[in-house]
Amino acid sequence: MLRASHSLGVIFFPAYDWSISPTHPEREERLLYTQDQFREEGVFDIEGIGEYRPLVASPEDIARVHFCFPSVEAVTTHSHHISAGGAIRAAGLVLDKERERAFAIVRPPGHHAMRCVHGSRGFCNINIEAIMVEWIRERMGNVRVAIVDTDCHHGDGTQDIYWHDPDTLFISLHQDGRTLYPGTGFPAECGGPKALGRTINIPLPPRTSDAGYLMAVEGIVKPILDHFKPDIIINSAGQDNHYSDPITNMNFTAQGYARLTELLGPHIAVLEGGYAIKGALPYVNLGIALALAGVDYSAVREPDLDPERIREHQSTLDYIKALCDHLPQVYFEPTQREEVEREGRFFVRRRSIFYDTDGITENQIERLRDCPYCPGWLHVESASDRVPKSLGIHVPIQGCDNCVDEADALFRKAQADSSFAHVQLIDRVRKRIRHAR
Amino acid sequence: MHIGIDVGGTHTDGVLIKEGRVMAAAKEPTDGDLLTTITSVLRKLTAEAQGHAISSVNLSTTLSTNAIVTGTTEPVAVFAIPGPGIRAENYRIGDPFIVLPGAIDHRGTVTGRLRERDVAPHLAACKAANITAYAVVGKFSTRNPEHELFVADLLRPQAQVISLGHRVAEQLNFGRRVATAYFNSAAWRAFHRFAHALEGALAELGVQTEVNIVKADGGTMPLALAREIPVQSIFSGPAASVMGILAAAPQSEDAIVLDIGGTTTDIALLLDGTPLLERDGITLAGHPTLVRALQVTSIALGGDSVVRFEGGAFRVGPDRLGPCMAAGGPAPALMDAVNVLGYAHYADTERSMAGIRELAMRQGSSVRECARQIVDTAMGILSRAVGEFLALVNSRPVYTIQEILQERRLTPKQVLLIGGPAKALAPLVETALELPALVPPHSPVANAIGACLTRPTQGVVLTVDTARGRFTAPGLGIMKTVPRTYTLEQAVAEARALLSAELTRQGIRAHADDIHVLQAESFNMVENNVTIGRNIRVRCQLRPGVLTTLAA
Repeated sequence: MLRASHSLGVIFFPAYDWSISPTHPEREERLLYTQDQFREEGVFDIEGIGEYRPLVASPEDIARVHFCFPSVEAVTTHSHHISAGGAIRAAGLVLDKERERAFAIVRPPGHHAMRCVHGSRGFCNINIEAIMVEWIRERMGNVRVAIVDTDCHHGDGTQDIYWHDPDTLFISLHQDGRTLYPGTGFPAECGGPKALGRTINIPLPPRTSDAGYLMAVEGIVKPILDHFKPDIIINSAGQDNHYSDPITNMNFTAQGYARLTELLGPHIAVLEGGYAIKGALPYVNLGIALALAGVDYSAVREPDLDPERIREHQSTLDYIKALCDHLPQVYFEPTQREEVEREGRFFVRRRSIFYDTDGITENQIERLRDCPYCPGWLHVESASDRVPKSLGIHVPIQGCDNCVDEADALFRKAQADSSFAHVQLIDRVRKRIRHAR
Repeated sequence: MHIGIDVGGTHTDGVLIKEGRVMAAAKEPTDGDLLTTITSVLRKLTAEAQGHAISSVNLSTTLSTNAIVTGTTEPVAVFAIPGPGIRAENYRIGDPFIVLPGAIDHRGTVTGRLRERDVAPHLAACKAANITAYAVVGKFSTRNPEHELFVADLLRPQAQVISLGHRVAEQLNFGRRVATAYFNSAAWRAFHRFAHALEGALAELGVQTEVNIVKADGGTMPLALAREIPVQSIFSGPAASVMGILAAAPQSEDAIVLDIGGTTTDIALLLDGTPLLERDGITLAGHPTLVRALQVTSIALGGDSVVRFEGGAFRVGPDRLGPCMAAGGPAPALMDAVNVLGYAHYADTERSMAGIRELAMRQGSSVRECARQIVDTAMGILSRAVGEFLALVNSRPVYTIQEILQERRLTPKQVLLIGGPAKALAPLVETALELPALVPPHSPVANAIGACLTRPTQGVVLTVDTARGRFTAPGLGIMKTVPRTYTLEQAVAEARALLSAELTRQGIRAHADDIHVLQAESFNMVENNVTIGRNIRVRCQLRPGVLTTLAA
């Protein structure tokens, strides 16, 4: 009998009754063959691996992270609450020490969902990792968290949510944004003025295969993780770097994913993208699950794998070698790489955000209080094709008394300001969530 | 008239039932030759039939289990075709255990070739070793059995029995299918000898009738089928008891069933009156299998569980030092405390009193108080176990949003008790579990009644890939082509029809209403943004149930 050397809880929720549309990559069939593979392999017969039901995330769990305009209900369906609930269940298993590690194989995904939500971007409505992390912090206080996003697409949503948080290290490895949605994720994007070097972007050339990918993990991710010493490591385990993925151009394999998982040793892995549902997902998910549990994965292999055909060019390896030489500086010697606009005591970002899945454009002005005592409170003015100008106010969990008071004062003032369609407050210090209108 | 016999580890029980009435019962110790014991019970019961025709003999037997557990099985060569995934070496069972190349994926597509020359050298080696029992199991063989069939064809000239993975179990789980097929071949010859002898014994007694074998899932199968898949006859004892309770006290709501013995209590659960099945199957000699069984949890608590006073508290069980003191045992046991409290007047109550008094003196309390604490401790163990079991069942994973939102929790409304101490413990259990408790009539022979009256269970699993036009019902050995337009509705209708036909073929009578559709799902298969077909999965089952209930 096989035995896990790290006990593992798997939350498997394929949502067999939900899709974006009948032929959309994010459809009922997506995890069907993964489930077949897990059953046929007898994954849950391995001693130390157990299967769990997801919880259902509450509106409060979601509103603790996001400004959902006009409301949580308007931008989510049951499926989103359950997929976030799956991630929360994973965290609960680890926090309660029922399992050493957990893997939430749930859908729909979440890593493109930013702080403000008007609809669906890159198949994501709400950020299931962020909802999980803030659920953890609601219970445990401000733990240090590292999120390593290994989806092929830049995790721009998670980056946005933790842009100003010095206690969350966000590392995204992805296909170079010049060649793939969402077109961001360059090394110069390295965190807001109060959290410089806490966002690390590692763009990889198209057709990078196992050697190149793992070189980046060992040369960039590992040293940074080791130095940051997070309390919890989370892997946003997108599987679309796979050589057979229909919507990306990378050449990663199931063996590569398993080795990557072994190197990262995450406490919690959460499925993100990955749409080669027949030829990749069953093997990649199996490889990740076995690697998480510390079980031999050496015979997990795609039936059509031809390592020679997908091997990267020497030039790709040289390019990644150069990244390994320079990119760690982003973390170890952080410098402001992008110009930051100021308005008095506030740092300002003006952005236009496109929601490709729903075809919405959002315009926002984000202001962060430059506070000498804490990372500063944040307020965002946001308007989209769907929702008129609205206001979101966020006080981080590290917030000082002064920031709490200032945010509160603005919230009260904004309530009386009819120019905002909706006004929402997230105060992580006093654990308050308030929605006016 | 129907005869039911349950061959237990210590006793063999038999009943003769006519039109829902127990006409006779017989009990023999199970010792020596199994067939002698069965024949003796049969002789007693047929004598009671007074010449009336016997229309069925149902047998629940531990025979193949014993053969497997005691290792009196013959060598089996196992041919595994694992393809990629977890290393096949982890499922090693049998000798030799041969790993062949070739692979089939989750959709039943051949993704790796298997050639005659890959198999040939192993054939010769097995022949040289005089091996005649084989098991052949491929990964995803239930989606496409062609590799298993290919190897079977090559083995046939030198084999007496070949168990094929897709025929012994239709569910997914390669490692369990390997073990199931192995055990099936291992138990095959012993079962055949037994079946042959049984038929001889029946002929000698002048009984000409159908013979059915009880399975661990609470159903029966005809003897002819049992000869093909003897592995399904293992561990049928607990199922026979539960089915016996359902015959004596039919249920329609959620309930708990307790079979309380001397050292252990078996706990089973009913959902809407139907016993709950294990998700996969039972574990045999340390190997998980796909032999479907009622989900039963056993705890080390029974009437003879010894009572100790240790560290200022009472412990009940987990062991037994002999019968309780009332029955001449060496140390006070749970039943003695029950005797003292007056819930029972079992055997020599004075000895019970003496035993508990000694404990009471050490504790410094009254005899009654001491007995009360002992009983409370025991009931605490029981209610904790029941609570944990319910929590486990109620947290089973589900895979649709609908199921999450409309959560159906198993909420027992009743406790049913059988076994020696059942009557005495019923009021205590009622209080401990806060549920009405019932001891059904004929409780002491519930196992034999269950064997007698339980009806067949049979299932059909089919998968259809309309893009390839492939239709597979592995358990029935059916692989055929269907048009691209094939629908889920057609698949459900066909599954029902196939199951009905199979039941008829086996001589099993069942109504169309008795067939339950457990799964009916259709998934769009999309390639390059175009729907190329549907992946359809249907499972139908004749659920566990009884042919007739006992007259009140």
